[in-house]
Amino acid sequence: MHAFAVSGKGGTGKTVFSALLIRELTKKGSVLAVDADADSNLPEVLGAEVYGTVGHIREDLLKKKSELPPQVGKDVWLEGKTHEILSENRGFDLLVMGRPEGPECYCMVNNLLRRIMDMLSENYAYIVIDSEAGLEHISRRTTISVQDMVIIADGSQQSFNTAVRIRELAQELKARFDHMYIVLNRMKNSDPERAEKTGLTYLGSIPYDPEIEKACYEGVPLPEHSAAAESVQHLLEKMT
Amino acid sequence: MEKECPVEIGVVFEGERVRRDDMYVELGGIKVPNKAELVRCKSVDEVEDGKVIIKGLDIKDMEEGSQHPFGILVEVAGEQVEPDLEAVIERRIHDFSNYVEGFMHVNQRYDIWCRLSKKSYQKGLDSFRYLGEALTRLFKAELPIIEKMQVTFMTDEADVKPFMEEAKKIYEARDARARALSDDDVEEFYGCVLCQSFAPTHVCVITPDRISLCGAINWFDGRAAARVDPKGPNFRVEKGELLDKENFEYSGINEVVKEKSLGENERFWLHTMFGYPHTSCGCFEAIAFFIPEVEGIGIAHRNYQGETVIGVPFVTLATQTGGGKQLDGFLGIAIEYMRSPKFFQTDGGWDRIVWMPQSIKEQVKDAIPENLYDKIATEEITTSINELKQFLQDNDHPVVKLWTAKKEEPGEVMEAEELEVIPVGAGGGLGGVRIILKNARIHADKMIIRRK
Repeated sequence: MHAFAVSGKGGTGKTVFSALLIRELTKKGSVLAVDADADSNLPEVLGAEVYGTVGHIREDLLKKKSELPPQVGKDVWLEGKTHEILSENRGFDLLVMGRPEGPECYCMVNNLLRRIMDMLSENYAYIVIDSEAGLEHISRRTTISVQDMVIIADGSQQSFNTAVRIRELAQELKARFDHMYIVLNRMKNSDPERAEKTGLTYLGSIPYDPEIEKACYEGVPLPEHSAAAESVQHLLEKMT
Repeated sequence: MEKECPVEIGVVFEGERVRRDDMYVELGGIKVPNKAELVRCKSVDEVEDGKVIIKGLDIKDMEEGSQHPFGILVEVAGEQVEPDLEAVIERRIHDFSNYVEGFMHVNQRYDIWCRLSKKSYQKGLDSFRYLGEALTRLFKAELPIIEKMQVTFMTDEADVKPFMEEAKKIYEARDARARALSDDDVEEFYGCVLCQSFAPTHVCVITPDRISLCGAINWFDGRAAARVDPKGPNFRVEKGELLDKENFEYSGINEVVKEKSLGENERFWLHTMFGYPHTSCGCFEAIAFFIPEVEGIGIAHRNYQGETVIGVPFVTLATQTGGGKQLDGFLGIAIEYMRSPKFFQTDGGWDRIVWMPQSIKEQVKDAIPENLYDKIATEEITTSINELKQFLQDNDHPVVKLWTAKKEEPGEVMEAEELEVIPVGAGGGLGGVRIILKNARIHADKMIIRRK
């Protein structure tokens, strides 16, 4: 099992990158796509249906915990719900993490989720986690090691700042990444030097692609073929 | 001789997801209304050991990609097999059937959802017989008290539907028994240290009458988790000897508390907020706080944002209470604990509860003794101690009797005409010793200091 995580400042195109990466990987093996951004857009970009989020079932369990019959295993219940909300698609399954935590105690539920997430991920050749910049889902709800962390920047100083913060956060959280890459998206003139200044490995860049822009504008799934998809294919080859 | 199971069986297949693309047949699941699994304890002559009965289509008769109703009935017998074990054994159907390569089992009771992979079907897993035999072998290996076991699989709506109806009744009866289980009915309790990352000296002791402070782990959950991973954050706590009936002090609990609190605490009294109370982590659902002015207990929960009757909000109370310290008069609790028949029993139970937010009062209405319901104040009635006092008096709350009792005998806690106090620090005999008086109220008419 090979895991990729994709992160970066909001609006830099990490969800589109994740989707293109997922599409590419399905050609090689089964993929578990994890939408770990509270503002989840991955399903729409991939054209996948969503039946529920981990956030919802987590809250549901906390709400129902004393109503459930005492002998009904909460671990089996939560595992079952996780399987039920898994969106099944050709070549990939999609799990949406959803809303952030409330004020309640999540010790028990996160402990259960870690085991469920770890067991579930074992079933796939690849995992792609579309992660918000806080990396919370990676640090709290799974213990799987992520081989490749890809941070997307769009050329704005803010997106580079975020890239640096994610790198620092990953170190603080002792998150398990073998490689940390930076990818430049939609830049007229790629600037590898500036990208490397973040302390991350420059992986490459993805050109501005009117096809992608159109799909995003219309809110429809990404097209099967595009210039952006081709460059993601190259970047993937560089990583593996 | 019958053919052996054509696929591998082992714990490595646990958690296996059979993806839709790889699925041969689907049994139960959300789209199928009728499905259930059930374990029944039978007498030895009612069970034929190793028998597998298949009612309805067997796997080989099913169309690829089809969905079917599904029932699994496991009947076990043995001298030591008791009906109370049914639920424990039933839970293992989930684990053990998942051990079969290419067989996915999700959920429990009447929610079960199974899939068989194309790959395992192609390897020859074309009959439920293999599954039944595997289950029998795994169950008997793990639970040697099972002397005989037979398994029935049902895939015909006509069989599964009545089976599910019957199973539901049995689950209900079982749940009623489980809810009635008390501390006295069991041999062991469970511990939880999931919160030690926040409160390193805190340990939750989970008993049938005392759910974890977060309200998320009951005695059955503790038992299940400790079985899956005995060295994990949930573990078995031997009850040991009941050292003190009034205070529910058990020798087994004390041992575990000493060990898991890293020596910080040595004794727990289970159902009281005084003396050696249970510690509080940081993520308890509610806090119970003693209000000395009225000799009563107030409760506030995490989602209550206003001020409590003692003038501080929940968050302030929480910082004071958490952190794994034993604190007289402050205790983190689960809301569900208020439904326990042993809820603060040592302190007088519901008769001592004087204040709580309206929303929680409604939530646990069923647990509050009827004659007390209107005597317990809420934020809608008052958030001032003086008004509370008046309210309790006007409504003749049971704590009011304690006030008069107090007035009559002021020395109720400790009464002595003359008490010789060991000199502290004199002569250095007690050097290095810490003396802490928590929430102590000492009343003395006269103090005499004398040279010996």
